[in-house]
Amino acid sequence: MNAPFAGKDGENRFAQLCDGLRPQLYRFAFWLARDRQVAEDVLQEAYLRAWRARASVDNESALKGWLLTIVRREHARTFERKRLPTVPVDDLIAADSPELAVAEQKDVMDMRRAIFALDEEYREPLVMQVLLGYSTDEIARELGLTQGAVLTRLFRARHRLRQQLGVGEQDLE
Amino acid sequence: MMECLEFRRAAGADPQHLSPDAERHRAGCDGCAQHHRQLLAMDAMIHKALNVPARDHSDAMRRTARREQRATPRPRWVALAASVAAGVLIGSVLWIGHPRDSLANDVIEHMRGEPDSLVVTQVPVDPANVVKVLAASGLRLRGDPGHVSYATTCPFHGATVPHLVVQTADGPVTVLVLRHIVVAEPRQFHEHGYAGTIAPFGPGSIAAIGATVEETADVAARLRIATEWVDD
Repeated sequence: MNAPFAGKDGENRFAQLCDGLRPQLYRFAFWLARDRQVAEDVLQEAYLRAWRARASVDNESALKGWLLTIVRREHARTFERKRLPTVPVDDLIAADSPELAVAEQKDVMDMRRAIFALDEEYREPLVMQVLLGYSTDEIARELGLTQGAVLTRLFRARHRLRQQLGVGEQDLE
Repeated sequence: MMECLEFRRAAGADPQHLSPDAERHRAGCDGCAQHHRQLLAMDAMIHKALNVPARDHSDAMRRTARREQRATPRPRWVALAASVAAGVLIGSVLWIGHPRDSLANDVIEHMRGEPDSLVVTQVPVDPANVVKVLAASGLRLRGDPGHVSYATTCPFHGATVPHLVVQTADGPVTVLVLRHIVVAEPRQFHEHGYAGTIAPFGPGSIAAIGATVEETADVAARLRIATEWVDD
């Protein structure tokens, strides 16, 4: 059996790869939760779970997908456990203003606000596709959807962003 | 020949990867080519917008590891056993091709994302946690479910379900109580190197995955006996 993360060298390699993936995973958690502190908490718990089961990964190339699944699962559990209240998008944006305010361009800022306002069913596949580089087939497998459903969500996500940003477009739906 | 509406639906879902048909349409349609350029520009903007700053935690996993080692010193044999069992299980998932049973496959995929499912341990979970997890799905614990080492609720097929891990002589057995998934009759399977049992249980079903069919059937049966539905 291939066990790339066994032994002391494996542990070090595992930690090194996980640390390298952390910014991407943090951004994914942030766009799921739309809250910096929740994203940090989710990631911390996910890393703890991953560390305990590091020996179960037999292939370095599977590591990113495995960690992403753990983060998704932990995020869902966090919301269920804490029964986090529904917060208006404007309040979320205000609370996370440091994340939003670093945008150097107004149009990036506007886009962030528009993505903040997307429903999770559209936001999540869009983040997976554009930020993490997942194919529609990979997104479908991760989210437990058909590929057709993923394509529809991605189309609608972009359509809504265009609507929110006031980009002219013929009616496509 | 692809039409404009079809092209724009396809490009709007995945502008970076056009099919050969869509590429041909774009080449012959100025309006759609312009639309596609706009989509690509918007995707670049989306990427910028998503790329929020991540704080520098360049040794996050190492710090997690140090905390974990301080908190739960475990004998070496436990760690070794966990490594072997978990490696066999995950390795099987990654190596073998398409499943024959989609529900079984989904349960296995779910387990893959739940690292604690694969850890061999002598440490039981707090019994109060088992009660709480089951209660969230309308189940009351009335007997001994066995050596439960892990209990949580998980998202599965659009619902939140109890996820337990029961330690047995053959290794850990993962159990999902699927109140929202009805199966007509019990079935047993071998897939991806796992053995499993899926059986009717109350209004839905129960799935158990482990090393042997016999052990998974025993664990599922024991849990059925040890619990009762309280809100049917």
